[in-house]
Amino acid sequence: MAKGIKIRFRPALAATLLILGFFVFVPMISAFEYSIRTPLTGGYGWTHYIWAVREEDFFHYILRSMWLAGVTVLITLFVLVPTLTWLHLSNSKVRGLIDGLSLLPLVIPVVAFAVGAQISFPEFVQNTVLELPFLYFVLALPYAFRSLDIGLNSIPLKTITEAARSAGANWLRTITTVIVPVIRGSVMATIALTFALSLGEYTLTVLLHWDTFPTWVTYVAQDNILGAIAISMMSLIIPFLILTVITLFVPERSTQGRK
Amino acid sequence: MSSKSLSLRNISKRFGNVIALDNFNLEVGVGELVALLGPSGCGKTTALRVVAGLEHQDSGTVLVADKNISDVPAHKRNMGMVFQAYSLFPNLTVEENVAFGLQMRKVSKHVRLKKAHELLDLVGLDSQSKRFTHQLSGGQQQRVALARALAFEPEILLLDEPLSALDAQVRVNLREEIRRLQLSLGTTTLFVTHDQEEAMAISDRVGVMNNGVLEQIDTPDVLYNKPASSFVAGFVGTMNRIPAHITDGMVEIFGSKVVALKRGNETGKVHALIRPESISVAAATAQGNAKVLTRSFMGASSNIICQTADGTIVQSLMTSASTGDLLPGSSVQLRVLSSEVLVTNV
Repeated sequence: MAKGIKIRFRPALAATLLILGFFVFVPMISAFEYSIRTPLTGGYGWTHYIWAVREEDFFHYILRSMWLAGVTVLITLFVLVPTLTWLHLSNSKVRGLIDGLSLLPLVIPVVAFAVGAQISFPEFVQNTVLELPFLYFVLALPYAFRSLDIGLNSIPLKTITEAARSAGANWLRTITTVIVPVIRGSVMATIALTFALSLGEYTLTVLLHWDTFPTWVTYVAQDNILGAIAISMMSLIIPFLILTVITLFVPERSTQGRK
Repeated sequence: MSSKSLSLRNISKRFGNVIALDNFNLEVGVGELVALLGPSGCGKTTALRVVAGLEHQDSGTVLVADKNISDVPAHKRNMGMVFQAYSLFPNLTVEENVAFGLQMRKVSKHVRLKKAHELLDLVGLDSQSKRFTHQLSGGQQQRVALARALAFEPEILLLDEPLSALDAQVRVNLREEIRRLQLSLGTTTLFVTHDQEEAMAISDRVGVMNNGVLEQIDTPDVLYNKPASSFVAGFVGTMNRIPAHITDGMVEIFGSKVVALKRGNETGKVHALIRPESISVAAATAQGNAKVLTRSFMGASSNIICQTADGTIVQSLMTSASTGDLLPGSSVQLRVLSSEVLVTNV
């Protein structure tokens, strides 16, 4: 940090942060406070957290949900990065249509997806939990699509793609060695959004009769609400830590000054 | 350097109803630098992109060293390309950018970085190798782009208006540098530009394009002095179009007769095409045949704009030393200095 940088107090900004902070952090802090209460002694302690990590199912379900979220992220990137690259380069009118279609998951009730999946998916698909990542992908589409779209809009895509191709890169290498690193910020945002949405998805999962971490937390809450809150707090912290580690391990490269 | 010859045979390309290339033909010899010059929309960039494989022609053939590469994808053509917009990869350092083409060819890291440093040394940027591209000026970025295009020893170097986005002085320096590198490496080069000075300054031959066809391709000298068409005459350099009469192969201009190079009618009204430096202006002792409108001092030379009695505007380029008494409004005598002039139909 350079010396002499002063942070000016801006009342409007402070008020905005205060309001946002109230709605985001106060419920979380309250939940945390609630989760460390020990009703028997009337004080605070880690009883419910210790109980949670001793629960065999805790790691089973959180790992399962993280695995499904990971697969969803891969599907999202494999499908959306090449598709959006093509849409941007072709300047096709189809882009507007697909942009509109990508918003549909926001307006179609999740129950419709679930019923539709049960009616239309072949039995071998319904018999595997891997049907979930494909449906999670659809649910994450409005956010993932926009995040990548913004990234591709912010770079001179046509020029750097043509430069890469004329320098000898095929399409796969152009995408993996040039486009994805250049829009790294958007890709990381897409990974975070898709991962978080998949990890917390409840309605679709329960309607399709699968057990994941959110459905297990609901089950636990029936008998031990404080334990369920402790588990929820951990489910918030663990993926956050994982995503932070991923971000730290992906080398930071300078992309300032681009178009 | 594995430089090769380039041939475009009967290339046609349309974009919807617009004809970008119309049965276009071009031959570029080994180690030659050919510029394609023309107004916006004449098809010069399309021709370059067809060579690069970034556009596919509707018909015709692209040959490199007599080998048909018409259907070879862009990444397998082994052609280095420099674009108008700085096309460097912002996530890579300067040396990584230059080494990119070699990385794609699976050259070992040690060898490709060594080669990258050689090229950066050639363009005078070796000291900047660890920097990111946004930390460089526009001219430096284009130098890096040039080094990147040459690093993998391309068969053909393609330059798509690489100087257009640069400041005037940087343009002049960089175009000389491009020529120096091209000559020392012997790379066959196709250079697209709309700047005739740029094209004439560094090219072995210049092709003038109009409406998707090559109007004329010649050395800069021939192109300037013996334009093959009225369009070329008007596009390359400044050309006066002076109404005149032609009789028996002689054209009468400013009261004297000059041999007509036949491009128009044998007799009757024509336009004589005369370069400004081929017209002299002298202060008239009696009634002159024109009067001075403006005189622009440009250092060693001055540009004199005159108007004849019939209203024709005539431009003359003379050494400044001989134009001191040519004040605006003064009566002057115009004279054609060349012994022969091009004529075109009215």
